[in-house]
Parts: sequence; structure tokens; C-alpha cells
Amino acid sequence: MKKYLRIYWPFAANQIKSNFVYKGRFYLFILRKFLGMFIYYYLWMAIYASASSGELGGFSRSEMILYVFMSYTISDMVMVGISSEIGYDVTDGSVAMSLTKPIDYRTRLVFKSLGVMIYRAVVPTLFIWIGLEIYKVCKLGMPVTNPMTMTATLLSVLFSFFIYIFFDYCFGMLAFVTTYIFGMNIIKNATLNFLTGRLIPISFFPTALQKIFSFLPFTAMTYVPVMIYLGKYSGMQVLEQLGKQALWVVVLYLFGSFLWKKIERRIVILGG
Amino acid sequence: MSENLIELNNVCKEFVTAKHYPGFKGAVKGLFSKETVTKTAVDDISFAIQEGEMVGYIGSNGAGKSTTIKMMSGILTPTSGSCVVNGLEPYRERKKNARNIGVVFGQRTQLWWDLPLGETYTVLKEIYEVSKNDFEERMAFFNDVLNLQEFMHSTVRTLSLGQRMRADLAAALLHNPKVLYLDEPTIGLDVVVKDRIRQAIREINQNYNTTVILTTHDLNDIEELCQRIIIIDAGKKIYDATLDQLKCDYGDSCSVLFEWKQNLDSNQEDMLQTLGGQLVLHKQEKGIQVCFSKKECSVAEVIAKIMGIAEVKDVQIKETELTDIVKRIYQGSEGKTV
Repeated sequence: MKKYLRIYWPFAANQIKSNFVYKGRFYLFILRKFLGMFIYYYLWMAIYASASSGELGGFSRSEMILYVFMSYTISDMVMVGISSEIGYDVTDGSVAMSLTKPIDYRTRLVFKSLGVMIYRAVVPTLFIWIGLEIYKVCKLGMPVTNPMTMTATLLSVLFSFFIYIFFDYCFGMLAFVTTYIFGMNIIKNATLNFLTGRLIPISFFPTALQKIFSFLPFTAMTYVPVMIYLGKYSGMQVLEQLGKQALWVVVLYLFGSFLWKKIERRIVILGG
Repeated sequence: MSENLIELNNVCKEFVTAKHYPGFKGAVKGLFSKETVTKTAVDDISFAIQEGEMVGYIGSNGAGKSTTIKMMSGILTPTSGSCVVNGLEPYRERKKNARNIGVVFGQRTQLWWDLPLGETYTVLKEIYEVSKNDFEERMAFFNDVLNLQEFMHSTVRTLSLGQRMRADLAAALLHNPKVLYLDEPTIGLDVVVKDRIRQAIREINQNYNTTVILTTHDLNDIEELCQRIIIIDAGKKIYDATLDQLKCDYGDSCSVLFEWKQNLDSNQEDMLQTLGGQLVLHKQEKGIQVCFSKKECSVAEVIAKIMGIAEVKDVQIKETELTDIVKRIYQGSEGKTV
């Protein structure tokens, strides 16, 4: 395990370092995130202002404020795309360089994303969460999040990260078949915005759809940790949701391994 | 005789691609057609390479050189045939094989684009589990031969092509691999950098008995580095022998250029005509070019004969260059396949 970390950790560490290399990108990135969040925030506030009841889809106005910021930050942290990276690797043929190293292609990608995730967890997520907690207590008059809930949320976020990344890895395998994945990636992201609950909480969907969603891994990517944070699940339900997430991690991991085995044999290196 | 380190037996590689049609209409048609084209990139190639050999693997563009290298490094799986490197089948045991090999693809880099060069080496040190002592010793060696320290702390994206290539070579050699694959390592480099790279390859081969397989279009690389040469064309092996053998087989023609001290009189002209035979004469403005085969007479004989006829001011001997030989082989094989 220690050896494993020593080999793969540099991939995460270098990703964190790379993020500081381009100064302009660093600031613009933060700016873009705040812009996105606040557009989303004002949109929901407008909806609540014009709604007749104070509760929509089981969310009070205060809860919705928390939902907006939490779902935005969590999905931003968790959804570190590797399929686009696989896509680039395939299109310009640089996957060849990765394959000549005695390392596992997926593990390498996972650690790279882990680096990005850690980076985003600090810049700016951590600060937003602290700000949100202060706002929650002082302005919304809600109690401080208890440590148990926070721990469960963080654990759930970690599961979400692995679910998303293993899912995206399977998706990225398409790049080896089609040699081009950019367009499909856009469709995927748009679909995921709905299915993960990032755009609209899942509880706003019709019950039948919610039933179907519960059999898919997508709600486990963003919706579940946010709901745990908001205290929408009882103690048992939290455990059930975490168990379900863990199961998805395993299933998607195995499916990814299976796909790689199939595809490794028919890899084509583009560009000479 | 030592064991073969690399063995390829009847290796074939086919690529299947979707068929594309010309023009805009064709592009649309291509969206709906399911037709595919099978292209054979490597066609029934067999060879064996022993430990410590330096082999030049050459062929015209698109002959299948890179594809072969990629199969030997475990990236591609052969369609048929077997390929064994150091007792492993590279594509079955890719990660294990990767520890034995070092790869430089001239048009790609394995360096960390956004970070200072040194970072790449620390990462590679961990990946290949190179001990601290070995690491320091090898880095010192690379600094020495490849002059890396002047840009060790620059980010990789700011390096010039020559610097990057040197750095890439060091990266491929850091774990002291048994086999080194170089796919056009000197592409687009200036004379000085080329020289440094050749020097490094030579020293590595001498010090560690590293087996080197080199593809290139610069035949000087081959001449300076390799003892053996394998030529492929259109996926087929067309020649495989030592460099000396190649020169013996094809490099027998020789030409000597004489410049006269003063113009010849008619008597001397007549005497020249009588030489004939194995010698082919081309008259030039102030002298004569004599072409002959070294198998039939020696340079000394030719010079003696000509000097016996007239006074000579200057003599130039031109042996066939490797480039000409290879050109002849390429063209010869085209003639055969057409």
C-alpha cells in the first residue's frame, strides 16, 4: 500500500502543482465558479419569491440556499472528468506514452483526478463551506451541523468521487472505439446535470422517475451527499445510502476493468 | 552464442478503419456506411536480436517501423504471430515488460508539460523504484553527456526541441532498461544535439550492454551507432544483415574523379578509350570520372592506369554512401512489388 502510494501519489501532487502554474487560469477559475453559483442562487430565489407556498419539492427557502451551494461545490469537486483526458490521450496518440510505463492506466488517471479533487476541495470549496456554515447559523438561524452529519457527508462525497470517476472511466473507453469523444462528453455532462440533482433536486421529479433514478448510480454522485448534509435522511437511511454508494463504487470499478480488458487488445495509436 | 533478447516470429498487424469517401457528399455517405478498410501495417515480420546489439530499423515513411516498435513495447497487440521481449510477451504482460524497456518516440514527450523538468525525473524515480544512489549516479551521468543541468529547473513547455529530446532520452534511460526503443530520436535536431544524443546512446550501450533498436530517416545515425540494419518496406522485411555486409552487398561501386594538369592530346585520348572493359568513363570539362566495381578492380589499380596515361592534378575518390544504397534497396523492392 505504501509502495502503491509512493508510485501514484506524484500524479496527484503534480496535478495540484500544475493548477498553480497558470496564474490567470487560477483566478478566472474561481471567478467562474462564483459566477455560476450565484446565477443559480438568484434563479432559485426568484422562484421562491414568486411561489405561493414557502416550500417547494420538500425544500424550504433556507434549505434550498444550502442545497444550491452544496450541490454546486460537491459536484464541482467530485466530477473531475477523466473521459475527456482519455479522449485527448487517444486523439493525439499520447496514450502510447502512458502505456510504456509500468503503471496502471486507470489508477494513474484516478490519482490525477484525486489531485484535482483535493485542489478543488480547498480552492474554493472549503472557504465556501465555512462561509455557508456561518451564514446558516447567523442568518438562517439553523443549528450548527453536527460532527456526525459532517463526517457522513464527507464520506459520502468521497464515495461520490469514486462513483463518478469509475463511471467516467467506463464512458471514456468509448474514446478508444470512436477515437473522438468530445461531443458525447457534452451530452453526458448535460444529462448528468439533471440526473445527479445538480440542476434540480431529485425530489422535484415525478415519483415514477425518482424510483428509476434510485436504481442508477447518478443520484449517488451529488444528490446523496447533499441530502445527508441537509439532514434529510434518518440515521438508518444514511447508512443505507452509504452502503448503496459503496456498492456502486465496486460495480463500476469491476465493469471498468472488464471494459479495459476488452479494449486493450484493439488499441490504435493515432498520429504515427 | 547468447540467447536472443528479442524474438519476433511471423508478426502481422492489421488496422481496420471505417471507409471514407471523398468530397462533402462522401463525408455524409461515410456517416451511414458500415464499410471498413483493412490495412496491413506489418506483414509477416520475423527477426531475432541479441543482448547488447544496436540495430537500425529503417524503412520509408509508413513502412511499419513504428507499429513494430509499438508491438515490442506492448502498446499494440499483433493480429497474428508472436513477439517475445526478454522472455515476456509485451502486450500480455505490459506492466512487467515496461520495467525492461525504455522508449523514446521522437514526436512525443513523456515529460510533464506544465512542471519543471526535474519533477519528471522524481516521478519516474518512484515509478521505476530506482534507488537513491542509482538515481544520483545516473542523473550525474546524464548531466555530463546530455548537459541537462542548464534547463533542469525550466518548465518543460519552455524547452527547445533539442533540450526536450535530450531530456526525453534521459527519462527513458533513468531505470537502466535492458532494451531501448528509439523511434526517430533525432528528428528535427541540429548537428550538435544529434551528436550529443548519439554519444549518450553509445555510452549507455557500452557501459550497460543495453540493447538498442533505432528507427530513423537520418542514415548517419545508423552509420554511427548500429552494427546491424533491418530494412522493411510496406510491412515486409526486405533486408537484414550487418552494416558491413550491406556495404559489401551493395556498396561495391566506386567512382574516382581525375582532374588533368593540362588538356589531353589526341594520342592520350585514344589510350583512354582502350581502357574500357570494367571501367565506365564519363568525360568532364577538365577531367574524367571513372566508375567501376570494387569487386573487379581496386582503386589503386585504377589510379595507376590513369596516371600512366596523363599527368593528374587532383584525385577524388567517392565511395557509395549508405543513403544511395538504401535508396537502391527501397527502389528495388518497389520494382519487385509492382
